[in-house]
Amino acid sequence: MSKVIACYKWVADETDIKVNADSTLDISKAKGKISDYDRNAIEAAVQAAGALGGTAVALTFGTPKAKQSLKDALSRGPAEACYINAEEAARADGAVTAKALAAAVKKIENVSLVVCGEGASDTYARQTAPRIGAVLDWPVITSVSSVRFDGNALIAVRRLEDCMQTVKSELPAVIAVLPEMNSAPIPGLKAVLSAGKKPVTEFKAGDLGVDFAPKTTVSALKAYAMNRKSVIFSEGEIADKVKELTAALRKEGVL
Amino acid sequence: MGDENFDAIVIGAGPAGIACAYTLAKQGKTVLVIERGDSAGSKNVTGGRFYTYALEMVDRGLTAEAALERKVTHEQIMMLSGNRAISVDYYDPSFNRVGGTAQSFTILRAVFDPWFAGKAEEMGATVVCGIRVDDVIEKEGKIVGVIAGGDEMYANVVVAADGVNSFIAQKAGLIKDIESHAVAVGVKEIIELPAQTIEQRFNLKSEEGAARLILGCTEGIHGGGFLYTNKESISLGAVFMPEEVARHGRSLPEMFQEFKMHPAICPLLEGGKTVEYGGHLVAEEGYRGIPKKLYREGFLVCGEAAGFVVNLGYTIRGLDLAVLSGLAAAKAILEAASPAKVGPAYMQQLEAVKLLPIMRALDGFTDALDIPNLFGTYPKVAADLFQKLYAVDGSVPDHLRKQIWGVVKGNKLTLRQLFADGIRGMKAL
Repeated sequence: MSKVIACYKWVADETDIKVNADSTLDISKAKGKISDYDRNAIEAAVQAAGALGGTAVALTFGTPKAKQSLKDALSRGPAEACYINAEEAARADGAVTAKALAAAVKKIENVSLVVCGEGASDTYARQTAPRIGAVLDWPVITSVSSVRFDGNALIAVRRLEDCMQTVKSELPAVIAVLPEMNSAPIPGLKAVLSAGKKPVTEFKAGDLGVDFAPKTTVSALKAYAMNRKSVIFSEGEIADKVKELTAALRKEGVL
Repeated sequence: MGDENFDAIVIGAGPAGIACAYTLAKQGKTVLVIERGDSAGSKNVTGGRFYTYALEMVDRGLTAEAALERKVTHEQIMMLSGNRAISVDYYDPSFNRVGGTAQSFTILRAVFDPWFAGKAEEMGATVVCGIRVDDVIEKEGKIVGVIAGGDEMYANVVVAADGVNSFIAQKAGLIKDIESHAVAVGVKEIIELPAQTIEQRFNLKSEEGAARLILGCTEGIHGGGFLYTNKESISLGAVFMPEEVARHGRSLPEMFQEFKMHPAICPLLEGGKTVEYGGHLVAEEGYRGIPKKLYREGFLVCGEAAGFVVNLGYTIRGLDLAVLSGLAAAKAILEAASPAKVGPAYMQQLEAVKLLPIMRALDGFTDALDIPNLFGTYPKVAADLFQKLYAVDGSVPDHLRKQIWGVVKGNKLTLRQLFADGIRGMKAL
């Protein structure tokens, strides 16, 4: 039976991230969550598995902390989960992530489709799907808005800047889906309870034969701050203030 | 036992529900806890002080592991009137002997509840968050399960620990919709400040904490304020009687903002950052607010859903009572020989763990705190008296008795009224 893989990332919940006075980020108190768009990817994989008569497998590459994501991922419908448990995930770039995920896909065998979210909700780098395709040498379709299957072919509609494009590809393939793919329903009680009983395969870093050394390193991570000019026109009559304001806006090139 | 039939389903992962689940799971029972919030503790607006004896009754040594903030070493009462303030600070190291368990701690429920839920999970309970229980399932007059998130789930006993205004107890027909006089409406903010700043402002050593109740901050409305120092934040709140708020004409956030801006409160908060702002109801009637029946066959009500909260004016107790009730429910489920005997056993356990005796003993406070002058006039009288005592401007002061009488008259109080309120207070307590 063919397998459809849903790749997801366990990220820090951005609502819990604090910005320190020096613009650095404090994520020590942030809870984890499945990256928002990856929830759509999981649902898309579950639906695709249904359409293909296969089973959906949730796959993640993360630090030991990501282990807590498995129940959540499985409650969303996949029949099983695979977890690449590696401290190196904390420093991984797009290339390392893709190599790790692709290695796991090879281990799982008989995979007909890999579904990723278009981008992660922390970095939104949009690297994972294309790079997995490159490693596996499978066709890649990004920005997927909807998908259907015709025998061993996949027909995807892509949302591009100013048009929709329909493409057809043989399976196996890798797709990156947009959140508009589906509504990613909140799991029900029974789904949550059954999640704990589903099988989980854990790969350790060494099991995959992948070089985890990243080619890129993060040298700084800082909050984006808008420097405002904070000019207040408080002197004089209203008409004068308006004149001053419009003059200032013209000077700035806003008007 | 199949997948969908548990020994117990507990609704709500607050202290009551978790104390029950923990105790049951520890004895090998299959327990499912269903929590509506995304995580345990995410739906509440408790001040937060926790009396540790209750946790020790659940399991000896639990307090040492618990996610707590500061041990309460400073018990404080504050009265505000206009821009004036009177503070009482009771410091008693015997409540917090070195090497022993401190009597009470301030807590943040968003931290404490997930910790406690995790302990129940370690014992083998299943805790599912983010799902609301919509209804109970009834068969032949018994409660046999719940409908939650579109699924039916069955259990020998359903324990409603879903907090004040319990929809589940309503669905089970044990209580009616809440009445406005039975509850107060509260506003609470958590304001972050560095630990050192908090320690300086409240005169605390590291790990020490203050718990403060405040009178005269509700514009004469029945109610009061509270302030708890956490490790790196202050929980500040105020509760008001909803009926009087409706007549008063000013919004809660407006009155709360004014309270925060009070010259005796504002400097405590200065430079802090609001990280949480919430509103909630709280049961206000103490013992007499407890529903007539707390059980049906296959169904128990625990915690604030059962009205287990007492406001004493100088402290508020709810979390410890919640834990006691959850423990009582679990003990009843464990010991009852047949399903029909669980309910009566629960009532016995509520006596045995001293929950009902405690609430009965404190019943009078509900009347004492019902004296209308307590919330505006008396704080003002007290402040006026202090003003007379402390004002020194070189003039010849009146005789003390005359000063007091002047203050009483100036506040349009009669001796008879003072006497009546005094008698009322004495009788109640």
